[in-house]
Amino acid sequence: MKLSKSLLSAILIGIVVQSLPACKKEKETPKTNKENKGQETPAPSEPCPGCGMG
Amino acid sequence: MKVLSSIACNLDTDLLSAAFPLLEEERVEAIEWSFDALFHVGQIPPWFWELLTAYSKGGRLIGHGIFFSLFSGKWLPGQDDWLRKLKQTSTDLPFDHITEHFGFMTGKDFHQGAPLNIPYSQLTLEIGRDRLKRIYEACRCPVGLENLAFSYSPEEVRKHGEFLERLIEPVNGFIILDLHNLYCQIRNFSIGFEELIALYPLDRVREIHLSGGSWEDSQIDAGRKVRRDTHDESVPREVFDYLEIALRQCPNLKYVVLEQLGTALTTAESRRFFYDDFLTMSGIVEAANGSARLPDGSSNRCNSFLPLCPITPGEIIEDEILYEQQLQLSGILETAASYEEALGLLRQSSLSHSDWEIESWEPAMLETAMKIAQKWREGWINGKGQ
Repeated sequence: MKLSKSLLSAILIGIVVQSLPACKKEKETPKTNKENKGQETPAPSEPCPGCGMG
Repeated sequence: MKVLSSIACNLDTDLLSAAFPLLEEERVEAIEWSFDALFHVGQIPPWFWELLTAYSKGGRLIGHGIFFSLFSGKWLPGQDDWLRKLKQTSTDLPFDHITEHFGFMTGKDFHQGAPLNIPYSQLTLEIGRDRLKRIYEACRCPVGLENLAFSYSPEEVRKHGEFLERLIEPVNGFIILDLHNLYCQIRNFSIGFEELIALYPLDRVREIHLSGGSWEDSQIDAGRKVRRDTHDESVPREVFDYLEIALRQCPNLKYVVLEQLGTALTTAESRRFFYDDFLTMSGIVEAANGSARLPDGSSNRCNSFLPLCPITPGEIIEDEILYEQQLQLSGILETAASYEEALGLLRQSSLSHSDWEIESWEPAMLETAMKIAQKWREGWINGKGQ
């Protein structure tokens, strides 16, 4: 599927930013909705187990 | 309907780094997101939300839950919370379908432990059906379950497909056929692929998973190696061969998903293998898309996998005895210092001579269940890479 160039750039920047060491502890409560849009605080980098619990 | 080559895509910098070239080259036709992995962490970065939104708007975002604990004998507060968050997430970000894992979660806390198998009884069937209705009620899209990688005995392996089919019947659901999970069963119990796949309701397969795993030496059964679905290696050649066969036998297939853990994608070499695995997978899928996949000359049949009649969950089905047995089993698997200790405790427990059929569990598989439970008992973040 085709993604816009601006989204691809944002993903690339996001990967780089999230790869940097965290300088403060995350304090926010979980949010999974559109309220998050526009907030730049990086979330912790999480390995997702998916089904990989073997 | 075209089968879509997809990746399991989560907020993981190593995984996203590995996937980025594929996204940039427009090769990723759909993404599967484990939405509940982020229920307990901080904010979702806007760029990741935009990525999910782009696929959702294209009708190509699928959700894969991990933590609902479908067969817990007791309804847990965490399950109410999980459903509430799924409902909100599905409103904000519509999914094409939602899936969960088969089993119940070990561990004292809702977000700890690993999904383990359950007895295939009328009681667990009713509990599973009840929970699937509740998931449907929350997400209002097709609901499915994934086949397990782990079993205690070959008898259990042979019953799994039929039990899955009965579980999903009331919601007209579907199954994820995880081909590496089948590979684990094939290698661990010396069953042929053709024999095993025939035991699954292939017309109910809407999604296929591909991944890699690892081998572990059994201490209790010298010389035996147990295959585990650890998602930390490239896809074995045999699993790609299974895909070619499955594409011809699953008339309602829509998604083929490559899964790998980010913790196994930290080097340039491992990312290259991930990229190559995706190209191999999408090449097989494209070849099948370009031909009449099915023996009758058609490319697919059509099942919406939406309930055929209104779904109204009744009273929550619970069973205190089952729940106690699950707690006992979790406790034994997580804390026993040796196989012998675990076996002794199981024989003294209420699981002895019950629907659990612990008398038929293979020693190497009980040993493996202990390793899995002890790996994940502190939660999957701490359990990574062990």
